[in-house]
Amino acid sequence: MNLNPLPLSISRTGGCTLTGALAVTTGIKDSVTIIHGPPGCAHHNFSLLHATVLDNDCMIIPAVMSSDLSEHDIIFGGEEALMNVIRQVAIGNPGIIFVLSTCITETIGDDVLAVTRDAGVPVCMVPTGGFLGGDFGMGFSQALIAISNQACPVTKTPGPGQDRSGTVNLVGEKNLEYEVNENFLEVRRLVSLLDLTINLRFVHDISWADIDRIPCASVNILREPALSAVGEHLQSLFGTPYINSYPLGIAGTQDFIRDVAALTGRSPVQALQREKERIKDVIESFSDIHGLHVCFSISAGHPEYALIMEISEAMGFRTSPEGTVLPVPYPFPVGTRGMKRMLHLWRRKLTCKAV
Amino acid sequence: MQGCLNPVWPCALTGAVTALSGFSGIAVVIHGSSGCYFYPATLLHNNLYSTFLVEQEVIFGSGERLVELVQDLSRTYKKVAVVNSCVPSILGEDIRDLLSEFEIIFVDTPGFTGDFESGYLGAVKDLPVSVNEGTDRVNIEGINLIDPFACGNQREAERLLHLMGIPVGTVFCHDSYDSLARTADCSITVNPDLPTGYGGQTGSLLGLPSIRKTVLALADQYPRAEVTKVEHELLDVNERITKAADKYLRRFDPPTVAIFSTCSYSEFAAATLRQYLDADIVFCGSRNTPRATWMHPGNVTSLAVIAAAIREHAPDLVLGSSFERSVAGDAAFVGFTPPIRGEFRLSSTPLAGSEGELSFMEKVLNACMDHQQRKSS
Repeated sequence: MNLNPLPLSISRTGGCTLTGALAVTTGIKDSVTIIHGPPGCAHHNFSLLHATVLDNDCMIIPAVMSSDLSEHDIIFGGEEALMNVIRQVAIGNPGIIFVLSTCITETIGDDVLAVTRDAGVPVCMVPTGGFLGGDFGMGFSQALIAISNQACPVTKTPGPGQDRSGTVNLVGEKNLEYEVNENFLEVRRLVSLLDLTINLRFVHDISWADIDRIPCASVNILREPALSAVGEHLQSLFGTPYINSYPLGIAGTQDFIRDVAALTGRSPVQALQREKERIKDVIESFSDIHGLHVCFSISAGHPEYALIMEISEAMGFRTSPEGTVLPVPYPFPVGTRGMKRMLHLWRRKLTCKAV
Repeated sequence: MQGCLNPVWPCALTGAVTALSGFSGIAVVIHGSSGCYFYPATLLHNNLYSTFLVEQEVIFGSGERLVELVQDLSRTYKKVAVVNSCVPSILGEDIRDLLSEFEIIFVDTPGFTGDFESGYLGAVKDLPVSVNEGTDRVNIEGINLIDPFACGNQREAERLLHLMGIPVGTVFCHDSYDSLARTADCSITVNPDLPTGYGGQTGSLLGLPSIRKTVLALADQYPRAEVTKVEHELLDVNERITKAADKYLRRFDPPTVAIFSTCSYSEFAAATLRQYLDADIVFCGSRNTPRATWMHPGNVTSLAVIAAAIREHAPDLVLGSSFERSVAGDAAFVGFTPPIRGEFRLSSTPLAGSEGELSFMEKVLNACMDHQQRKSS
């Protein structure tokens, strides 16, 4: 199979920038996102978002509009169609209109930015371009950066509602992951051990007006290290320091508490003590599977292998190729509660016989 | 007015891939990016391949990558099918010429050319089918793997043909590649929106009146076909549904119903609900381009339009997909149209055949009963 290296390190299988950008823009409840392309592109993504909405027991349906390009528009250009759709959407007076381009409109050369500038209404264009703009992760980061550029910069003297102390922002939650809410609850629990609250979920289930609260937190907690560019961007705009990942693994969860405490000027001692006791209780509650022979679905060299080995050691597992194969969920479970859910999964695998 | 808010129906590329991937032995290659690959791949859970194009190929050409992939797959599959997506279709590369040394199926139905059905039917037309005249077999048409009733419909059609003593020809589109060489010159369908055009179409298995007509037509064509068992079964099914519906109507008014599905499924539902429950069909929206039928459905593919129709007509019962369920409000809901998400579905439920009729009416009656109970409490 052809695996020619590319001039840029863009993943061939990294998904579509549209899906990444939509995972962010549809997290703003009063927004409408226009996908400038054929209806199929909008359907593929809307269908995925709708399935996620159902999985998360949320009944707020994201507004995804297609400029509905036909074969005729592909031949003669789709700029007029886009302008018509922007004007039509503007009548409903949404909090913000996002415009995302697709690979087909990039290829035919539609000047999407010019159309959005001439629209006469505020429009936030996210550079996407389907696969011509990169991959899912690129679309996700670009959308976060485009939105953060619209937030009011923090003043030197914090005004009402701009007090940075005692709060954190969550940046780049994976809105399409099944456990997005459970992961949020776990991070909220961990920061609450340090008497901190969540200022803003950037971007998850918020209104456009909430965007101005981005600068009002002591620290930004990124969902994963791939969002470091977003963390840097926010730091350069608002001076807010960031932690580059949710807590993963036993030591990682404790390090997370230490890092958040350091950046917010709090003592981690009591919080760490409580979390260590919780971790100990969780490990003990699975004593029936301690010491069993196992092997894992990932091998050495995998980025999460060290995290798995740490948990395996805590459980006293004996690893051998003949052991029961234990699955490692993707994305990796967050915090102590995430680890507990994974241990339940492993217990079922180790103790239940197949039919 | 241009634009479609929250479109609910897939594009031609998805339709073409669905049709082709139903045949084991065919390797389906989506000639496009990973974005175009992932959606059909997650819907179908079949082995699909893709050239996973990136910018480099748009600039320098995608031929080398495509040829290499087709070459690899030709070694392990009986046939390779290449389905073109939007961007490569306008790049001007002559794919047929690039792949002239391979005997492939090439389907040029990029997403912007139409809807799911147009892609499905376009791909079916490009299949290397050999129609065998005078065979005693009968093809089954209308199997669409993204349809929640696909497996149930196929089993039900096979069961009814078995009851009649008629062997099955090719199942479009869920069979082996080899089956395309023994396609019969006569077909029945479980979804008239997906006619293959191979051999004569004897009739549909959607709804008891259609089933009866189809069975009698088959009996005319195949004098050795056994019809008595099926006829008895149809009478029994009719009696069971009538009894249950009568019981419902003794307590409650007929439901007002909004139907959102493909044209043939909508027609089936409307006729069945009118027949047994004297239902008032207050709105009917067709996902695909509607044929001229007695219902005159409009082409509705925007969830915003669907939500507005439900608000305006306030039906007692909504038939549709999980999209409709999310905007159905207090109305009773029956999952009827793909996708049906947010619930566990493990069994193979049919919509076609006598079992399909029973299952459909069972779900409708239970949903309406629950709705009435909710209203009264």
